[in-house]
Amino acid sequence: MTPTGPGSFIDRIEETLIAVLLGSMTLITFANVVARKLFNSNILWGLELTVFLFGWLVLLGASYAVKKGAHLGVDAIINMLSRPVRRALALISVAICLAFSLLLLKGSWDYWANFANLPATEGRWFPTGFEDKFLEKGWYEVEDIPHPGFLRWMEDAFNEGESYNKMPRMIPYLVLPVSMALLFFRFAQAGLRVWRGEIDRIVASHEVEDEIGAARGEATK
Amino acid sequence: MTVLFLFVLVIGFLLIGVPIAVALGMASVLFLLLFSDVSLAAVAQTLLQAFVGHFTLLAIPFFILASSFMSTGGVAQRIIRFSIACVGHLRGGLAIAGVFACMMFAALSGSSPATVVAIGTIVIAAMRQAGYTKEFAAGVICNAGTLGILIPPSIVMVVYAAAVEVSVGRMFLAGVIPGIMAGLMLMIAIYVMARIKNMPAGEWRGWGEIFASFRDAAWGLLLIVIIMLGIYGIPGVTGAFFTPTEAAAVASVYAFFVASFIYRDMGPLAARDGRGRLSLLQAPHALVTAFFHTDTRKTLVDAGKLTITLMFVIANALILKQVLTEEQIPQMVATSMLDAGFGPVMFLIVVNVILLIGGQFMEPSGLLVIVAPLVFPIAIELGIDPIHLGIIMVVNMEIGMITPPVGLNLFVTSGVAGMPMMSVVRAALPFLGVLFIFLIMVTYIPWISTYLPNSLMGPEIITK
Repeated sequence: MTPTGPGSFIDRIEETLIAVLLGSMTLITFANVVARKLFNSNILWGLELTVFLFGWLVLLGASYAVKKGAHLGVDAIINMLSRPVRRALALISVAICLAFSLLLLKGSWDYWANFANLPATEGRWFPTGFEDKFLEKGWYEVEDIPHPGFLRWMEDAFNEGESYNKMPRMIPYLVLPVSMALLFFRFAQAGLRVWRGEIDRIVASHEVEDEIGAARGEATK
Repeated sequence: MTVLFLFVLVIGFLLIGVPIAVALGMASVLFLLLFSDVSLAAVAQTLLQAFVGHFTLLAIPFFILASSFMSTGGVAQRIIRFSIACVGHLRGGLAIAGVFACMMFAALSGSSPATVVAIGTIVIAAMRQAGYTKEFAAGVICNAGTLGILIPPSIVMVVYAAAVEVSVGRMFLAGVIPGIMAGLMLMIAIYVMARIKNMPAGEWRGWGEIFASFRDAAWGLLLIVIIMLGIYGIPGVTGAFFTPTEAAAVASVYAFFVASFIYRDMGPLAARDGRGRLSLLQAPHALVTAFFHTDTRKTLVDAGKLTITLMFVIANALILKQVLTEEQIPQMVATSMLDAGFGPVMFLIVVNVILLIGGQFMEPSGLLVIVAPLVFPIAIELGIDPIHLGIIMVVNMEIGMITPPVGLNLFVTSGVAGMPMMSVVRAALPFLGVLFIFLIMVTYIPWISTYLPNSLMGPEIITK
């Protein structure tokens, strides 16, 4: 029994998050159109918030898709191979995916850290230590989204007590390191399941398997 | 030579079963770390920029969502009823109606597999009951379903527009004539086959049925009107109401309202537990609860999942695109092709071949993000209209979807019709021929694609 059985508590959280992110993107964009056409005004921060939500949706969702084995891939070749070879290739694939998420985790941290007054790592491929001197960019704000009141404490923590007019960039950009860490974690879990022989591939190959299942369900209703 | 290394890596990764997104991303990251001085932080930034910097791509989740709401409801069923009322009485009428229904559903959704699932589940079963062979039914729907990406709105067109920076509105308009043409060609082919093989014809139910079924389907079909009028305005009266992205968001909200409150196929008012559909007066609280209903949540999650897998591929393809641009690879390919004395005709053949082969292995949107920037500069150099090039690419993708081994539509059809892959391939073959003729026509008669956008939106201004 894996900790990620169907319909688990974590699943519910992740799915709700996906639904809420996508739903709010749609409603904000819709509200903006209504505001512009009917009331001749504009939700100034609407577009920026929507694109950040979009980024959060896909980047965070990428790890959920790993868990569900939903990522698109080519399985024409692996289908023709014998079981042990397929398992070996799946393990190599997982290794590549793990390396990818680690490299991007380092990159994400390096990109995000200075926005949160934290040191980026040194080294080109692998983190070899934290940099000694760096430019603190905690003051760096987004373009339009106002800073929410309940986050006022951040001004003392990151901006030497000066008030934020707009939300600091460290908040929306935080998704990068978080999502890449999650991605690594989910690929590691997938690797474990390949090792145990529970799954023999990490790609879904077709974006439509669920739809077929759903369609069959509909048809037999 | 180093470029070769990049492509060998991508293809090697793909073949051993690495997810497409990671294959594209990892190959690019390795290339950048080995051969350039771009840092990993810059790669992470590119990944984020895929969402934050491309307002065009934002249309994709909304179009997916709109099409998900439309698929949950009985919209497909209503459209099919309307198509059968219109053309069902012809010889081979049910098959022709199937194509017609696919065309209309394609105009509601931006994806081909979605079209096959929505229309195919109902029509294939109906055709078998009416005495058609299973193979014929599957072949028809498998091919007609590919119109999903040609008839606007189309997710693949949004991706192309974002990749080479042309207007989405233009691309959508350019798809109208080819989409209708391809549909008509398929219908004619079916009609001829039906005459020869003496296939069954339905009965003519009269204008009353056409009118009644149209009124029933109108709420769904109105979505097309909202999208098209929204993007282009009423010709000669008003300008555009909103951008394609906004149109997609409005379409999603509209589709949600139609599915929950008018057709009541989902949400709190839907028929369930032995009771019929409720009217809003019986359950006014539905106005609030519909937003939080499990059906709504499930549709959002499904659409979200599709968005995630698709956009993760595109975001990583954008990293690869950045590598290609920085290494000036498109320019290199362009010079070598021009030096080899390739004219426009030869060039288009090469593009067709590349896409046909690539389309058999890869998901259309991801392939487009990579190939489009490669061939775009050459096309401009040769004086090919970017919109025309886009339509050629989309038609190639259509064919890629119904050719093995990785034809998405083949998989879906084999699932929907409950028959093995290889027989679907054989069944699709005769109509594949029709699509091939269509591809040649679209490739060498630019007028088909460029007439509408040029006459409605003025001639394309090409900025090099």
